Amino acid sequence: MPSSRLRFTLSLLLLGLLAAAPAGAHHSFAPYETTLQIKLEGTITEYRWANPHVYFEVDAPDAASGQTKHWLIECASTSILNRAGWKFNLLKPGDKVTLIVSPLRNGEPAALLKQITLADGRKLSNGAAAGRATLE
Amino acid sequence: MKRTALFVLVATALAAVVPLLAQSRTAKPSITGSWEIFPLRGEGFGSGIQPKTPVTAPKPIPAPPLRQPYLDQWKALQAENQERTRKGLPPPSTGMACMPDGIPGMMQATFPMEILETAGQVTVIEEAFNQVRRIYLNEALPALDDAEPRFNGHSVGKWEGNTLVVTTIGVKEMARFRNVPHSAKMRVTERWRLVTDEMLENQVTVEDSEFLTAPWTWSWMYHRWPGYKIEEYVCEDNRYFDDPAQNYQRLRVK
Repeated sequence: MPSSRLRFTLSLLLLGLLAAAPAGAHHSFAPYETTLQIKLEGTITEYRWANPHVYFEVDAPDAASGQTKHWLIECASTSILNRAGWKFNLLKPGDKVTLIVSPLRNGEPAALLKQITLADGRKLSNGAAAGRATLE
Repeated sequence: MKRTALFVLVATALAAVVPLLAQSRTAKPSITGSWEIFPLRGEGFGSGIQPKTPVTAPKPIPAPPLRQPYLDQWKALQAENQERTRKGLPPPSTGMACMPDGIPGMMQATFPMEILETAGQVTVIEEAFNQVRRIYLNEALPALDDAEPRFNGHSVGKWEGNTLVVTTIGVKEMARFRNVPHSAKMRVTERWRLVTDEMLENQVTVEDSEFLTAPWTWSWMYHRWPGYKIEEYVCEDNRYFDDPAQNYQRLRVK
């Protein structure tokens, strides 16, 4: 599968976990389909380092249509990410990243981050509450 | 000459020893510093460093001994919330609205907390939501009628030997720990005690004759995290809202 194309891998996890893990101080992660993980390869368009959650946006090609799809990606709080090795200026528009995420159940273009791989190969998690990546 | 030398020697010794004796009579274990809940809720919630001396984790918090019909109502609510969460439609919560936990919920220390001891006061600063709690030492509680309802209520504390006994009244009725209802008469008593130099135990007792048939008790344990600097947590970019159609915690995507 060419790396320039969208790599959209679905993985139905047989974990038997129908309910999402608690999100910590703020809200439940249950609106995300946490039994489903997909991989996105795309380009950062915005990085918003704030509480109660850090968000970034990414453009990634859609496997089915070939069109660029714009995603909102939810991360943990700034303190959890700091402890997981992130930094307030870790990302910037134009950065190429590979993501493992769980999309929203309602079909809107947003997802909960499980793992991010930076252009230099570093892999960072989104803290325990978001759950671990189960894709390679 | 000899007598003078002896006098100087005794005076010097007394000068050195008397302050130490006075200090030993009043010395309390220091609880100032940063703490994290033990055991941790998971990666990222704290340091992940294990205590030097193995410590038994507190037992799970029991179900509240609510009076009827409150017990059945509470069980039904918990079951409904669990089912809605399973379906991906978790009910709105005060946390989603960035409201503070209140007492006793704040002391579950979801994120690390800092305890500061100053003259006449112990202050707790919890990283989640920048919550601040002030405990006034050796003061009387206000009368219930004068205790303006607050998330953290009104807390006073008193050292009984090596245990800091903290009593709280006046917690807002909307600040419900584990969705358990309470009245304006709720009284929370905490007994803080260092079980080792690095482990602080908090025995919590909730009393409320209007809602509970008996005291509701449990323990939390905190692990000292030397040098940790509490981070800022301002809810400046909350993208969650109560979906008006389905009444659930929904992310605002655009």
